[in-house]
Amino acid sequence: MAAVRELERNRQPAASRVRVRLRGSDHLAGWGFVTPAAVLIGIFGLLPIGWSLLLSFQQSDLLTPSTPWVGTANYRRLMHDHTFALSVQHTIVYTALFVPATMIVGVFIAVALNRKIRGISLYRTAAYVTMAVSTINEAIIFMWLFEPSFGVVNRALGWVGIPAQQWLSNPDQALYVIVAMTVWGWTGFAVVVYLAALQGVPQELYDAAAIDGAGGFASFRTITIPLLSPASLFLAIWLSISALQLFDEVYLTTRGGPLHATSVVVYYLWDQAFNQFDAGYAAAAAYVLFMATLVITYLQFRLGDRYAHYRR
Amino acid sequence: MTHLARTTTAIALTCALAITACSSSKPDASSTSSPGTGKTVNIAVWEGYTDTEGKAFADLVSQFNRTHPGIRVKTLETNNDFMLQKVLTAVRGGTPPDIAYLYGSWAPNVAKIPSVVDLTATARSPEVNWNDFWPAEQQVATVDGKIIGIPALVDNLAIVYNKSLFNKLGLATPSPEWTWDDFRNTAKALTDPQAKRVGWSIPADASEDTVWHWEAILWEADGDILTPDNSKAAFNSPQGLQATHLLRSMAVDDKSLYADTTNSKYADLFNAGKIGMLMTGPWDLAGFTVPYGVQVMPSFAGSAAGHQSIAGPDNWVVFDRGNDRKQAAITFLTWLTAPAQARQFSLQTGDLPIRQSLANDTAFVGQMDKALPGVQAFIDNLANVKKARPQVEEYPKISQALGDAIVAVLLNKRTPEEALNQAAAATDQALSGG
Repeated sequence: MAAVRELERNRQPAASRVRVRLRGSDHLAGWGFVTPAAVLIGIFGLLPIGWSLLLSFQQSDLLTPSTPWVGTANYRRLMHDHTFALSVQHTIVYTALFVPATMIVGVFIAVALNRKIRGISLYRTAAYVTMAVSTINEAIIFMWLFEPSFGVVNRALGWVGIPAQQWLSNPDQALYVIVAMTVWGWTGFAVVVYLAALQGVPQELYDAAAIDGAGGFASFRTITIPLLSPASLFLAIWLSISALQLFDEVYLTTRGGPLHATSVVVYYLWDQAFNQFDAGYAAAAAYVLFMATLVITYLQFRLGDRYAHYRR
Repeated sequence: MTHLARTTTAIALTCALAITACSSSKPDASSTSSPGTGKTVNIAVWEGYTDTEGKAFADLVSQFNRTHPGIRVKTLETNNDFMLQKVLTAVRGGTPPDIAYLYGSWAPNVAKIPSVVDLTATARSPEVNWNDFWPAEQQVATVDGKIIGIPALVDNLAIVYNKSLFNKLGLATPSPEWTWDDFRNTAKALTDPQAKRVGWSIPADASEDTVWHWEAILWEADGDILTPDNSKAAFNSPQGLQATHLLRSMAVDDKSLYADTTNSKYADLFNAGKIGMLMTGPWDLAGFTVPYGVQVMPSFAGSAAGHQSIAGPDNWVVFDRGNDRKQAAITFLTWLTAPAQARQFSLQTGDLPIRQSLANDTAFVGQMDKALPGVQAFIDNLANVKKARPQVEEYPKISQALGDAIVAVLLNKRTPEEALNQAAAATDQALSGG
């Protein structure tokens, strides 16, 4: 933009009238660049958001054109829906486990990889490669790893004398298998973010801490962790939003089962809309999730303002 | 061009682009012209055929396009599981396909879509020979007396067993007269925890795939899903309990039933010799790598219902995109499902013949069985399909309640009594509009 302005300024006389017009045209050029993206976001982002808000106050089966207004009936129904309550509960448990686990595993791997040793780029690639594995492959790998009779996990447990578990077939364990699966899938992302942030931690601080007699763990706790806090805040928000929207892994493995044990909000609302033909109700569920996400993200930002250290 | 003019043009262009991008799904002009004017009518068919089926279907379509100069059929391959979702989106946008392949269990809900074409008159025409389709196909295509689809596929469930495993263990080959007691004993004999082998497996993801397996067993126990007027659940009956207790005793007591909760492993485990028997349909046959045999489902000793099965027919549904396109779509479907084409498709794919007249042609059936061993047993088994799922729009809710009930029993979380009563309460509530 600055270059364009510079060019125009050199070519044209610097009369103030022209300058005003030029400033206007700069504005226009800016809009010109933004418009394609803005139009696309408007059509595919904002419009559906507004539309589904309307839908949540209607009864719609997606089949017939008639969509009578039902006021807040969909929202009131949600409050008495046992399966929805279960789905909310599972979503909270999942998010509370998935987000910290991914961040903790991520930061340790990132610190371990933040050194100059032979073949480091190979290790870094290995850490990131889980992000490149498609969800369907991830799901198939984990379904077989956790297969009750023939899976590697039960075999390994057998060596240390732990009896075979049912994993995805057990309503009490299935959700945790999905947590493990998604932590595995997202760790690479956390590692890359933390690795990038680690490059910005100045070596002098470690040197100074070492002179003051701080050990490895003390400097990790008092230097690395605080200085990584902007990255941690970003990851916490990003991973939370993705956790609240969990769908693919559930759809590909358990389909919300066994016995709704892995039914999460997005899976539940998809099922309501496209299997039960209750789109208005599903839209209401989506809006509850949307509001919850908004509140959680807002709280994270507020906490972030207080606790994240930005170097100026 | 001045800077200002350039930016204005850029904005105008992007807006125009955005607008055309949104409306580009409109049909092209040629498709609205009539065949009488010598122009071609384009119709879109959305189907889910892949691999062998995909090739066989593409062959038929190009044959049709060659022999029908006034019509041009274009196909779009879409995963069958997502077909309705995609079609509904297109209906909302005003651009449904002319023809879509839709699961039979969706039929009562599909019938509610206003642009779905009533094919009753078409089906009555002698050219279609409607009564040559299997009764199960006719039932699934008919909603409240109105025919909304032309049969696309018919299946059924039978028992497929691993022949080499039976030989190795010295087990008797299943006979057509076998009962569920025989079956249970056989499954027990096949089960060996040391070898990590189980007798049989059914899908246990609580989806309709779980439910229709159980429904066939329910019918064999002489039970019904709903009361005759489709107003209430009828499965919470002694017959329903008999069917459900059978599953419970095999899964929980004998541990001879592997509940495949992710519905993804049974075929691989069967091929690995870890599952002795499967209750499945002809679509799995081509994927089996072990020598297998096919036998009808066992019957319950003393049950008047005898051997039964369940058919899972699917429909070709036509959407109204103007009279010319509608007529072209009907012409195509009439041709596609005529005996000659149905025969060609079955021979190429191993799919069961959609017409009874083909099943009566012993030379043809022999030819099919030679290409895909075991198919003949499934064709014969179509005669054992005596009942159909209720054609009510609440069926998805009923199916979900039953799926939960069956899986709860298989995992020993609920007794058959509790599970069925709970599912019946949910069913009654759904049927009363709750």
